[in-house]
Amino acid sequence: MSAVTGTVGSALAAIVGAPRVQEGEAAPASFALDGARPRWVVRPETLLHVSQVLGLAWDAGLAVVPRGSGSAQELGAPPARVDILLDLRGLDQVLEYNPDDLTVTVQAGVTAAALAARLGARRQFLPLDPPGAEARTLGGMAATNASGPLRLRYGTLRDLLLGVRFVQADGVTTWGGARVVKSVSGYDVPKLMVGALGSLGVLGELTLRLHPLPDAEQTWLVPCRDVATAQELVLRLLDSTLQPSRVELLNAPALAVCGAPRSAAAIAVSIGTAEAAVKAQGEALGGLARAVGSAAARPAEGFWARYAAALAPEESVRLGVATLASKVAETVGEIERAVAASLSGAAPTIGGSAPLGSLRVSLPPAEPASVKAIVERLRAAVAPAGGSVTVQRAPRGVRLAVDPWGPVEPSAFALMRALKEEFDARRVLNPGRFVGGL
Amino acid sequence: MPLSPGLVGDLQRILGPEGLVLSHEGRLVYECDMHTFYKGAPDAVALPSTTAEVVAIVRLCREARVPIVPRGSGTGLIGGAMAPSGGVMVGLNRMNRILEVDLPNRCATVQPGLINLSLTKAVEARGWFFAPDPSSQMVSSIGGNVSTNAGGPHCLKYGITSNHVLGLELVTGRGELVTLGGKVADHPGYDLTGVAVGSEGTFGLVTAITVRLVHVAQAVKTILASFADLEDASEAVSAIIAAGIVPAALEMLDELMIRAINEGTGAGYPKDAAAVLLIELDGPAEEVEAQGERAARICWERGALEVRVAQDAAERALLWKGRKEAAGAVGRLAPTYLLQDAVVPRSKLPAIMRELGAIGARHGVQIANVFHAGDGNLHPLILYDDRNPDELERAKAANEELLHACIAMGGTVTGEHGVGLDKAKNLPLQYGDADLNFMYRLRGVFDPQRLMNPKKLLPAHPACGEGWRPPRPRLPEGAWI
Amino acid sequence: MEQTLGAFRGPDAPDLDELRTCVHCGICLPQCPTYRVLGEEMDSPRGRIYLMRAAAEGRIGLTPTFAHHLDLCLGCRACETACPSGVKFGSLLEATRIQLRRHGPPPRHRRLEDVILSVFPEPARLGVALAAFRLYRRSGLRRLVRATRVLRPFPRLAALEALLDDVPAAESLPPLIPARGTARGRVGLLTGCVQRHLYPGVNRDTARLLALAGYEVVVPRAQGCCGALELHAGRAEAFRSRARALAAAFPDDLDFVVANAAGCGSAMKEYGRWLPATAGFAARVRDVAEVLVEADLPLGPLPLTVTYHDACHLAHGQRVRQAPRALLRRIPGLTLVELGDSDLCCGSAGVYNLLEPALARELLALKVARIVETGARVVATGNPGCLLQIAQGCRQRGLDVTLVHPVELLARAVAVRAAGRRGASAPPSEASETD
Repeated sequence: MSAVTGTVGSALAAIVGAPRVQEGEAAPASFALDGARPRWVVRPETLLHVSQVLGLAWDAGLAVVPRGSGSAQELGAPPARVDILLDLRGLDQVLEYNPDDLTVTVQAGVTAAALAARLGARRQFLPLDPPGAEARTLGGMAATNASGPLRLRYGTLRDLLLGVRFVQADGVTTWGGARVVKSVSGYDVPKLMVGALGSLGVLGELTLRLHPLPDAEQTWLVPCRDVATAQELVLRLLDSTLQPSRVELLNAPALAVCGAPRSAAAIAVSIGTAEAAVKAQGEALGGLARAVGSAAARPAEGFWARYAAALAPEESVRLGVATLASKVAETVGEIERAVAASLSGAAPTIGGSAPLGSLRVSLPPAEPASVKAIVERLRAAVAPAGGSVTVQRAPRGVRLAVDPWGPVEPSAFALMRALKEEFDARRVLNPGRFVGGL
Repeated sequence: MPLSPGLVGDLQRILGPEGLVLSHEGRLVYECDMHTFYKGAPDAVALPSTTAEVVAIVRLCREARVPIVPRGSGTGLIGGAMAPSGGVMVGLNRMNRILEVDLPNRCATVQPGLINLSLTKAVEARGWFFAPDPSSQMVSSIGGNVSTNAGGPHCLKYGITSNHVLGLELVTGRGELVTLGGKVADHPGYDLTGVAVGSEGTFGLVTAITVRLVHVAQAVKTILASFADLEDASEAVSAIIAAGIVPAALEMLDELMIRAINEGTGAGYPKDAAAVLLIELDGPAEEVEAQGERAARICWERGALEVRVAQDAAERALLWKGRKEAAGAVGRLAPTYLLQDAVVPRSKLPAIMRELGAIGARHGVQIANVFHAGDGNLHPLILYDDRNPDELERAKAANEELLHACIAMGGTVTGEHGVGLDKAKNLPLQYGDADLNFMYRLRGVFDPQRLMNPKKLLPAHPACGEGWRPPRPRLPEGAWI
Repeated sequence: MEQTLGAFRGPDAPDLDELRTCVHCGICLPQCPTYRVLGEEMDSPRGRIYLMRAAAEGRIGLTPTFAHHLDLCLGCRACETACPSGVKFGSLLEATRIQLRRHGPPPRHRRLEDVILSVFPEPARLGVALAAFRLYRRSGLRRLVRATRVLRPFPRLAALEALLDDVPAAESLPPLIPARGTARGRVGLLTGCVQRHLYPGVNRDTARLLALAGYEVVVPRAQGCCGALELHAGRAEAFRSRARALAAAFPDDLDFVVANAAGCGSAMKEYGRWLPATAGFAARVRDVAEVLVEADLPLGPLPLTVTYHDACHLAHGQRVRQAPRALLRRIPGLTLVELGDSDLCCGSAGVYNLLEPALARELLALKVARIVETGARVVATGNPGCLLQIAQGCRQRGLDVTLVHPVELLARAVAVRAAGRRGASAPPSEASETD
């Protein structure tokens, strides 16, 4: 090993303690990013550690990749460089829980399951349910703006993150936002950090807005003869006084994976509120279903867990397709046709929030060129509506062949590039992975 | 510094004689927003009608290095729409069209000068509304709401402006017209829309806004609970939130405010109460019923004198009319007041109300209260007569003390009004040097010349200065390389 | 030494405390017709108050710019209705205009204003000058007949229309009209200047209805103009002498002095502010709708769809909104549809439409567009200026819409009821009559 490397390793050890630094081959293979092992894996225990590691990396011009549970390591472009992998799972403290205020402040490495265990006792929850949420860290979900079906009612972390403490590329620890549910003092810095993939700062602490758990909750599945009917049902539902927590569209393969009765498409709806209201709203939903020639039925217990699993199968290529609610049926059709054309008749699994036009697509493993063809065709299809197609997870080859983020409006991208230049001119943080190679 | 004849000529050519105010009298009426304490007249007021005109104004002012101050309806409470450094004020109130209503996709695109309530009026017949409802909604512009990230009574349930903005068209301080976000929910890249909302015109001028529309609820219930004691009312608020009830709105008014409003609008609030809670629940009928009962029970348990449910839409509207016009009705109590907007964790409400009483007594000033109790967002109005300098000094002292008390409880200096000129000096109470410096640099990304709404939002503080860098972390022994 | 308040001098200066009541909240802005059209702060109530305050504080003088923006104000007082702090904008404006006339620059349209103010408040001169307008009025009535074409199945009613059309326009009222039925009291009737000549039918209908409501109606021959136009133009002396004369023209023993022109009623109700000696008279002034709404008029059916425009000086000046609507709703068969922005000024505003025609036209266009939305072909409103202005706007857009004063519809409904009774073969009972 070179002298410089040796110096960095011992410097890191001086910061976090030797047992918390693994060098080269000593790090577990699972920490490899797109096949490349980081030169050092560092496990900070405190935010000060994070700050010092970044301070060091900034001075030495090293690339740092923050990591939570590791579930989103195949999101974005393959990293330009990986010097230090910052394993943040050691920051696992719930710092302050104020049940009477419905707020909680946690360290970034706390998992959703660990937090839920704390909140459940007070019948409160953080309404965040992307696939595999339980094992994921809150910092990771914030950095990737991960969300699931509940975003329809409760929004995403963009709406739930009140305050954030993060470490800038040069190691300066910074706070943005507030610890109370309402604040407009200064810029809304938390918004900037949500979904930024750690490229402007490493998230250290999050203050989150919580919600009371509904008294009762039920789920219905409305099979539809085709996707157009499903969309029609969704539009009618939105133009009613129903107050659903989730409204997800599933295509036939998605239904099959969920073990639901076979149909061309279905809408899964959950309603969480006072017990009597759940019943009444369920009846109203039944009425809407009948109006489109269908009926609402109760799926077997555990539907949402099966649904989450169906959307995130192992070894798949996953796409996020964003379109308008009014174009969901059209878009689903286009996805199915594009996949069939490029993957010799294969059928994608499609699910997603129909009211938000936010679809999740998973494809069987495929050649980069085929995925590229699919993505480019879909991008062309959703572009007129202002939509986008992102590669959420795929092997490195795919993400090299096709820009996983797709085009960003040039005038907005100019500002994004200026932001990155302002806050990480040395390209320390997750270099190359974010939009446009930022 | 007066504008150069060249710039004036160029602006006149773009805007026409009716689009540029240059007279002394005309500039004077634009010298303040609703926070009349802060005055600063612009050197000219530009009143554009098109986005192209806005772009042209920004580019001309950039070339001439002249400050630009945006203004909507001038109803802000923070000294935001005024020109402490002179320059060109850009009144966007003439750009007030609804560009598109798209109900299947639950959104609308509007120009910044559109009055908030006009959007709801345009869609309410079809069962929809625009949720952010600042008390000024009958006059404030959506552009102004976006600029300050305005809240309102119903943001307790529905969220503040930023939760409802999907996209913006912004003329940045760089003079570029940029499109951020849009009708589709997800956009790759940084959430520039999110951070631009609430930037108080320091990033640029917003020329179009795409907002989320919300469907009206099945049922609404408005409950008025009166209390003989302010503290009982505060405890009822904390108990309602802690019980897992999320009202659409949960407002509190104290004795002084009740009196002013009753005189102003005849809203018919109970005259003998020391505090009134206005609790509004909306949602599925059975949920509203169940939660309404629970909320009423909590009020009774905390010693309510009376718990009254509005019997019809007219009574509900009257109860709300009083609340919405509260700030204006204060004119009946005193000619001038300082209005605070600090937030405390809502569990701290009883404590802060006690503290408020003590502060008022200590400084010999009257404090009227009307506020969004449900999210702990206080609006104490410290009354004074500006013809009496001593009274003003006492009001200011009470104001400062109050802010410190809120911050000490873990709160924030402004919950929904924004920072403006008024609260810029208070930001260091809440943020450290590194935090302020980050915001300062963020502003520079959008407006490198720092011509957009100068002196607003960020304080004159070392951390907000050119060339200042926060101290880097100190590395432990042996960690240097 | 003359008392000064900044740029204001001598008596009749705006009250500084009143100016300070404005907390600059801006709630008045969207209600202000000139702000809606022009979108400029100096043309808003908040801006005008700010200008007045700046003048009172000596920060600006009574400059041409100051005068221009205060002259542009319609004086509709919609801002007073909107104001949560209760700023009395109308009297502030009147005082400022008085100051402007005394100490300010010459008004932009002084010559025109002189001519107008030499004709309008002089009933005799106006009679001559406006003779030509009668034709116009007749065409208005023909439109009403056309609007009621739906009534063809009711030939008596159609005949009544024709009958009314034949009543000579210049008929003057007798000095005393006895009460019909049980006497409720004694009222005086202001016949006005514009009303008397352009809408004599309105005065006649007012008198009839008041009599029917049980009032003895006194119509003093000597009465002149109320002076409202002069007050709004800041001509304090002329206004005061008219007000003094008008108050003196009416006997002291009246229960009410009834006005059927909103602008006159509004000014008369506020006489006390300018002439404390007339406060007693002012306290007795009522709009005709306020008086009639308390009575029980025998109304026959008028199957019409009608919309109601709030005259500014009725809705904002006198806060009378519900009474005219309630009266119209009492007419069987009449459907009252609400007019969007009903209380937004139509642009008439006294003689404003003559002084600031461009702005008045824009406001009129807004008003007419709203009327079209209602689908109504009859528009009722309680002020002659509005009647003239809106009728003109509808005619110019080629709309088949008739403008009426609410008392005209009430009188018609009374006549229908009376005709029905006369036409019945046997004396009908009250019950069968209302079937």
